[in-house]
Formats: sequence, C-alpha cells, structure tokens
Amino acid sequence: MIETRTKRKIENIIALILCTLAALIGLFWLVFILADIVVHGIGAFKLSLLLEDPAPPGVEGGGLRNAFVGQLMITACAILIGVPLGVLGGTFLAEYARGRKIARFISILSDIMVSVPSIVIGTFIYAILVRPLGHFSGWAGAVALSIIMIPVVLRTTEDMLTLVPWTLREAAFALGAPYYKVIIQVVYRGAAAGIFTGILLSIARVAGETAPLLFTSFNNSFFSVDMNRPIASLTVSIFQYAMGPYDSWHAQAWAASLVVMIFILFITILGRVILKWRYGKR
Amino acid sequence: MNLPAEIEVKGLNFYYSGGVHALKNVNLPVYKNTVTALIGPSGCGKTTLLRCFNRMHDLYPGNRYEGEILIGGENILSGDTDLIGLRSRTGMVFQKPTPFPMSIFENIAYGLKLKGIKKKAEQSERVERALIHAALWDEVKDKLHASAYALSGGQQQRLVIARALAVEPEVLLFDEPTSALDPISTAKIEDLAVSLKKDVTIIIVTHNMQQAARISDWTGFMMLGDLIEFDRTDKIFTSPSQKLTEDYITGRFG
Repeated sequence: MIETRTKRKIENIIALILCTLAALIGLFWLVFILADIVVHGIGAFKLSLLLEDPAPPGVEGGGLRNAFVGQLMITACAILIGVPLGVLGGTFLAEYARGRKIARFISILSDIMVSVPSIVIGTFIYAILVRPLGHFSGWAGAVALSIIMIPVVLRTTEDMLTLVPWTLREAAFALGAPYYKVIIQVVYRGAAAGIFTGILLSIARVAGETAPLLFTSFNNSFFSVDMNRPIASLTVSIFQYAMGPYDSWHAQAWAASLVVMIFILFITILGRVILKWRYGKR
Repeated sequence: MNLPAEIEVKGLNFYYSGGVHALKNVNLPVYKNTVTALIGPSGCGKTTLLRCFNRMHDLYPGNRYEGEILIGGENILSGDTDLIGLRSRTGMVFQKPTPFPMSIFENIAYGLKLKGIKKKAEQSERVERALIHAALWDEVKDKLHASAYALSGGQQQRLVIARALAVEPEVLLFDEPTSALDPISTAKIEDLAVSLKKDVTIIIVTHNMQQAARISDWTGFMMLGDLIEFDRTDKIFTSPSQKLTEDYITGRFG
C-alpha cells in the first residue's frame, strides 16, 4: 500500500515538473521574441519610418510609408471581401442550413481551411489571379488574405449565432417577422459582440501574413495606391529588408516589426476585452 | 351559451416530423373575450395545441396538420394562409421571458415597426399604452432606453406581454408564462391576464391547476394527445363529467 502511494506521488511530481518545463520553454521563446523585437524596434524607430518613402538601396535614411499605406489598403480590401462573405456564409450555416448535412460538411471544410499553410493560399492565388493577368497586383494580395479570413469569420459567426437561443427567434416569429428580419434585427444583435470579436481576430491573423503576399501583391519600392499594380506591404518589406545587406535596412525592418506586432497585439487584446465584457459577466 | 366562438378547432390531428401523433382529433371552441386554460400532464399535447394557433410548428420541417382551425371563420391551416399576417394577429408569450437584445422601448416598438408604423410619435404613444396595459409603465417609464435584460424575470415577462399587446392582437397565447417566476410576479401576470380579456381572447397552457381555476373561464383537460373534457372552469373543477379529469384534478396522477 505504502509503496504504491509513494510511487503515485513520485509520478505526480514528475508529470508536474514535465508540464511546467514544457510551459516555461514555450513561454521563454515567446517572451524572448517579443522582448527582442521591442528592444531592437524601439532603438530603430524614427518618425521618418512612417512619413518617408524608401531611399535608394545603399543610401541612408528614408522610411516605409509606401509599405504602411499598402498594408492598410490590402488589409482593408481583404476585410471588405472576406468579412461579408464570412458573415453571410456563417449565417447560412447557422440559420438556413441548420442541422443539415451540407452545414456540417462546410463547417468541417472551413476548419480544414483554417489550418492550410498560408503559402499554399498565396501560390493558389498566384495561379488563378496573377499568372492569367500577367502581373502582380494589390487585389491579388487582398483576395489571398480574404481567403485566409473567410473560414475564421465564417466559423465564429456560425458558433455565435448558434449560441443565440431558439426561443428568441420563435418570439420574433410569433410577432409576425419574416426570417430575414428575425436574423438581421434580433439574432445579429444578440450575437454582435461575438461576431465582431471573430472579425477582429481574423484581421489580427492576416495582418502578420507574409507568404500569401509574396506571390500576389509582391512589393513596390515606390509609393503607390493602385491596387491593380504591385503594392508594398509591411510584412514583405520586413522580409526583404531583413534579408538585405544594409544595416539601415535591418534597423527599419526591426522598427516595422515592432509596429506590426503592436498592431496585432492591440487588435487581439481588443477582441478579448470585448468577449470578456460581453460574455464574461454571466 | 350563445357566446360567439372566435376560434373553432375541428377534427385537428397533428403529427411531428418523426411521425409522432401528438394531437388526436381535437375539437374545441374558444370564446371571444374569455380565458381558456389547457391543462394536463406533461406530454399531453397542450403546448403542441397552443403552437398550432399561430402555426409555430411550421418553423420546423416535416410537421403536419390535419383538420381545421377557424379563426373568425377563416381556416388558418389551409395552405395559402399568410403566416406573417396570422402571427401578427396572435401574440405569444413563452415559458421563459424572451426579451430581445435591445432597449425596453425598442422591444415594444419592434412589432410596431414590423407592422409598418414608423412615426416616432405614434410609436411612443403606443409603447406607452402597451406598457400601461401590461402594468409595467410605472416601473420602467424612467428607463425606457435601458437594456431589457436589466429587468427582473417577472418584469421581463410583462415586457414580453406588452410587446405582444402593442400590435393589438385578437388572440394571446400563453405557454406556461409563470412557470419560471416567483409567486408575486405570478400573481401580477395572473391579474393581468384577467384584466386583458376585455380586449383579447386568451388561451393559456398551464401546469398549475390552481392557476387554471383562478384565472380561466373555460378549461380543456388533455391527455396523451386527446382532449378528454372541455367545459366551464367551475364545472371542470367541481363536477367533471369524465373520471380521468376527476382523477387528474384531485391529484391522483400527473
């Protein structure tokens, strides 16, 4: 008896130590990466990064204004394409196709889509949009990002709509509301915070993507707002500058990394806060 | 006995999508401006019957009606019934309060907007009237734009009743409206039901036989999908003609 009990205690301690170690190792790298970016990024950050376009290679100074604007445009277009499709798709699954086989099928499919490597999506868009048109373009980048967003938005919308109790819909029907009004005026309001959070998290997800943009919007050393032509983005610029031979490029890459990181952190925290504020109380 | 029957149920059979025969040849009249209670043990079909009056069952595929329900002479079970029109003539109050995720005012104005009443002044006036009608006005008049979720359960249930009343329905369907409420809120809702019958016809499903005895004029006793007995409430509770009814109301089963 005594022996087995001691044995169990020892096993318990070993398991505890292993789990804690694993957690610490994971956390260590996370903190290390974040701290590294903050230390290097703050040192390298200058206001000119946001206000000036890139200087010619080898020339000191300049900034990444073109990449900031390009990134914002690509992301904004991706949101315009991805969010409506995701929300409407999620609505179809949760409302019109509720309980049907097609709904389960699409749900599972989009769960798989969430974990498809983003470079695959980049090459896919390259094959269907870039090659046939013969040139890289901002639109292709936006479409690639939106394809990453859609399954995330779709699944959160579906889940959040499913959480709205059926009696609420029945109550609206009992007043003589047609289904589309029930959905738009009652169900969406009940699920709004959750859906909005899903959208924010999907934006955070695509804001840091490089691979899908490399093959689609490519890069542009000049300031451009033409979505039909190659357009600069922060993530691709970081990639290029970090690979480049100049110290000033490296410094700008660090600073840009810091900006991207803060942006994503902000959106993620905002999403969490909204979720907690809306669902945490009860 | 020369009351005009506002609703007449004739030979009603109802089958759920799985094939369950939930209502078996039900016949009953519902008289105008009265409270009709439906009582019976769980699973007897009283809620199923109630949900036939506004065709709630149509929300779920595969459910099937047979027979007729005449409201004002019109068979609402016929294929060409305008369900939206039917439902705006019949209010429904559920077991648990179902306020919408919006303000108190918007909750009540919701049905008005569906009816196409868009003028703010008319909305305000009818919202106030509905709240007074549902005996809630004094408690909420200073916080009409607060969330409906901030109200207590009993207040929420009266809000839902006000929302149903605002569109001036002919019939109010209550599905165990007080089973989730405390005794004081229950008493308020019961008083309300009695005072409302001068304007609307009320059908109430209840598990609570005392409640049926207190507030209804007519009572139908149901069991296993059959309407066993339908009569004046005092008759049902003092000298029922069916042995089953007597056994149920004296508490021998159920």
